[in-house]
Amino acid sequence: MADQEKLVIMVTHGPDDPELATIPFVMAGAAVASDVDVVMGFQGDGCRLVQRGVAETVSAPEFAPLAGLLDSIRELGGQFLVCSPCVKSRGIEDELIDGAEVCAAARFVAEITSATNSLVY
Amino acid sequence: MATTHEDLVLDARGLLCPMPIVKTAKAMKELEPGQVLKVMATDRGSITDVPAWCETTGNELLDWHEEDGFLVFHVRKHD
Repeated sequence: MADQEKLVIMVTHGPDDPELATIPFVMAGAAVASDVDVVMGFQGDGCRLVQRGVAETVSAPEFAPLAGLLDSIRELGGQFLVCSPCVKSRGIEDELIDGAEVCAAARFVAEITSATNSLVY
Repeated sequence: MATTHEDLVLDARGLLCPMPIVKTAKAMKELEPGQVLKVMATDRGSITDVPAWCETTGNELLDWHEEDGFLVFHVRKHD
């Protein structure tokens, strides 16, 4: 590849919708495996997926378990950004998994405008 | 059928998309350029995923076929 590709994947569904919670991790996993830089952004109930202990409870039929996907994405260099007001309103800012970075809107905008493409789930 | 030489074997049988290519990507890091990885998978999505992954990453899909209930791919690491 001539230039490093970068994909931003926004996640807005949480454990209550296992399929739509899992699909962005599937896409992110395929991307990091393909040498694409990945930034996952968690907003709304999507924040719950990076709360410690939650990913292990999420599994959708015919999809790989979410916790294993998350670990692989992190291992292959994927970044996890989490919406600041979303975690505060849920009282989980001190319960996030290692590597999850709390940030605000301008950071998401900066990531998206510098990316090759963005996906929103 | 001619047998393709392999330097490393990855058993990804039972894993669901995209874990076969995630494991493939990790396994390729252990190989030198020009060496060949054999991937065994049961996820039918691998039939399109492995070629797409090879095209994106510049690795070479040498061949693939089906054996007793699973898929076999041979991928050569790019230079």
